[in-house]
Amino acid sequence: MRVELIEKIEGEAKLEYKFKENKIDFVKIVFPHYRGIEEILRNRPVWDALAINPRVCGICGHAHLFATVRAIENLYQNAGIDVNITEKAKLIREITLFCEHIQNHLKWIYLVIVPIMKSIAKINIDQNSFLEIQKAIVNINRVLAIFSGQWPHSSYMVPGGVVCDPTNLDIMQARNFLKNALYIVEKRVFENMAFEEITVSELEKSRTDSGKIFRFLKENSLLSIGKANDRYLIFGEHSFTKRVKIIKTVSYPVKIKYVKEKSQKSGFAKNVTYKNNYYETGPLARMMLLKPNLIKQLHRVYKDGISTRIFARVLEILFLLKKVEAHLNSIELSQKSYNHIKTEIKEGFGESAVEAARGSLIHKIWIEKNRIKKYEIITPTQWNLSNGTLQNPATAQKAMIGLKNSKLAELVFRTFDVCSVCTTH
Amino acid sequence: MNREHLRGLFSAKSARVNTNKGEEYYNSLYERCKARLEELKKLKPVNNVNIMEVLEDEGINRRDFLKWASAMTATLMLPASFTPLVAEAAEVMNRVPVIWIELQDCAGNSEALLRSDGPKVDEIILDIISLEFHETLMAAAGHQAEEQLEDAMHHFKGKYLLFVEGAIPLANGGVYGTIGASGETFEEHLHRVAKDAAAVVAVGTCATFGGVPAAAPNPTGAVGVMDIVKGKPIVNIPACPANPANMVGVILHYVLTGQIPELDSLLRPKFAFGYRIHDNCERRAHFDAGEFVEEWGDEGAKNNFCLYKVGCKGPMTFNNCSIIRYNEAVNWPIGAGHGCIGCSEPDFWDKYAYERPMADANIKAPTGGVEKTVDEFGLGLLTAAAVGIGIHAAFSAVAGKKEECEIEEGDR
Ligand code: SF4
Ligand code: SF4
Repeated sequence: MRVELIEKIEGEAKLEYKFKENKIDFVKIVFPHYRGIEEILRNRPVWDALAINPRVCGICGHAHLFATVRAIENLYQNAGIDVNITEKAKLIREITLFCEHIQNHLKWIYLVIVPIMKSIAKINIDQNSFLEIQKAIVNINRVLAIFSGQWPHSSYMVPGGVVCDPTNLDIMQARNFLKNALYIVEKRVFENMAFEEITVSELEKSRTDSGKIFRFLKENSLLSIGKANDRYLIFGEHSFTKRVKIIKTVSYPVKIKYVKEKSQKSGFAKNVTYKNNYYETGPLARMMLLKPNLIKQLHRVYKDGISTRIFARVLEILFLLKKVEAHLNSIELSQKSYNHIKTEIKEGFGESAVEAARGSLIHKIWIEKNRIKKYEIITPTQWNLSNGTLQNPATAQKAMIGLKNSKLAELVFRTFDVCSVCTTH
Repeated sequence: MNREHLRGLFSAKSARVNTNKGEEYYNSLYERCKARLEELKKLKPVNNVNIMEVLEDEGINRRDFLKWASAMTATLMLPASFTPLVAEAAEVMNRVPVIWIELQDCAGNSEALLRSDGPKVDEIILDIISLEFHETLMAAAGHQAEEQLEDAMHHFKGKYLLFVEGAIPLANGGVYGTIGASGETFEEHLHRVAKDAAAVVAVGTCATFGGVPAAAPNPTGAVGVMDIVKGKPIVNIPACPANPANMVGVILHYVLTGQIPELDSLLRPKFAFGYRIHDNCERRAHFDAGEFVEEWGDEGAKNNFCLYKVGCKGPMTFNNCSIIRYNEAVNWPIGAGHGCIGCSEPDFWDKYAYERPMADANIKAPTGGVEKTVDEFGLGLLTAAAVGIGIHAAFSAVAGKKEECEIEEGDR
């Protein structure tokens, strides 16, 4: 058995490889960290979760806040209390969530994927790209901060809506920051911004970093490595997603009640399954639902190999930038940001799901005597990084099995946008 | 309790920082800084970047740079005559090696500082400081990274600044946080890396006071750096996330003077934590006028009234976010209509993270007072503020004994 440590993932992971005939036969994924957030939430007043939960993750703090807010709103709804969120509040919540995804994806390409590619073979993406992308990230975070006050970690979403009350000037500023980001992404990541129309042959010819990444994969025969189970899940309901599982290319409705969490003997992360099966969640799942040209073409040839997975995330950047732009244009400032909810409820249950950058995030809350009796958080990385068996490997495991060396396995592993703090919480 | 009393309380001397220490003091400090910078200039830089060149490449000219330096001088609470020295200090920042380790946390501070933004010049300066080791950022990973850490510690023995992000879980022998192939616990790791550091900077509320992992019932037994590291200068930069500007401020101060900045009783640099949020809040005039947001989204909210009644903890929170703001000064929580949750105060997760005013929080204060309703607003507020101040006082007794570094006790 060979053990490799994986750093640069907001914490640490250990990969324990078993080799057979010079190929990876099995990999165990172990996370050595734990904070006990679910235990901390117990016995607190319900709304305290709004301050604690964003701190589950420094990268997906917004998604956690959003999921908490929705879980509490669902709790009220289940108790027969009216929850009425204005269109304006919905749009603002999505704008900040999508911005969080965009900046995450950009960092992932330039701080995680490109460096590891460089360690495998030559790839011609220079420091300038990184510096410019940094500017795009800064601009995206500014858009976020206009509405949320700061990034990371904010508290601006509350059950009933959002607390910010943007003015016309704020919207103009946000548009301006977004435009700066769009300009940079267009120049560096994709020259054709028509998300639906990009094709494989266009990608292959592109002079942008996406083109370089594609050619790197092709020249090193890596386009189709990293195939997992070709099964996807989406739980978060947003303006472009719905609750579905997708098997190969067909989608079916799903329910949270079939999601099962189970502790593991080694490490602090819990396994997650849907009706006892492992699924992939995240940008690839979302793109399999939207089916843009590029993903359809890649999936046809390379299935859920790393090229499809990588470009799903890259493509989602474009898609979300456009989405944020459209949302900014359709906010009706005269609507209310917040509708007060009658909050007298002593007992009950609520659940929610939100799409975080890395996939579906599920929160469940049980209330007794006006306090949190139990709180359960199921994170996207738990789906992707569960540990199955030799016969029934989980998503990332399946993707690494059969590879010739651990360097390639690490590349494949990182295409899932691994996050230790999120997986263990 | 009438409004006059309240106003008196919030503008009390207890919260003030001494920004004018007299000519003599500043003259001698000036000479000391100059000598220090001369010494640093003689040292070989740890990396070969020329900051002015990098800044110019980024489209920042000398004038912009000096503007930044003068703002930084003000942030550090030095007289304007120090501006050229601050600029020089920034230029020799790459003589001071920095090691950054991440323990039990959410990585939010790294995100706030190094992977996103901060005022533009700060960001570039941080790019070129000699960050000798940072798990999340550096190219090396795994075993290779461990070697790199060893190298940096050995090579810069006694000279490096150690930045620590995250708490240290002590329960069950430290099993909740282990690192590397050897399975070293975070506590052992911190001891080892801190041993030869010139000073330790704890970044974020996890590293300073245990943070959210230390929230009751503290399942992993999380504590802050100052509970573990002894006999070394320690600077605490709490807040969740900590403000990048304050991290740069601490490094710059160290480069400039060879010492850590003046600290308050919780080991926080006074230049950043010498004020209450409330003292410099843009909504303060409304507080004084008794104009409050009663419910989010109401007319008061539209008019940016004070957020106290919807839970703002600004009156009990020491931090400079009301001045520096976040994300390139675009905004800050109170600007977006949410009250301060007191994230830079010890135990904020148990004491302040309430979506209601302290007067409403039903918290058992150490003084024995339990507050009930907004009707008792004045009284509640007073007790709450007194709790905040009481915590400071209590800590000052403990912290004073704890450290033998250059800490000047404040007037608090
Ligand atoms: S919003 Fe908070 S910090 Fe600002 S004046 Fe009101 S109570 Fe003070
Ligand atoms: S306003 Fe308060 S809660 Fe917000 S960042 Fe500043 S100190 Fe922390």
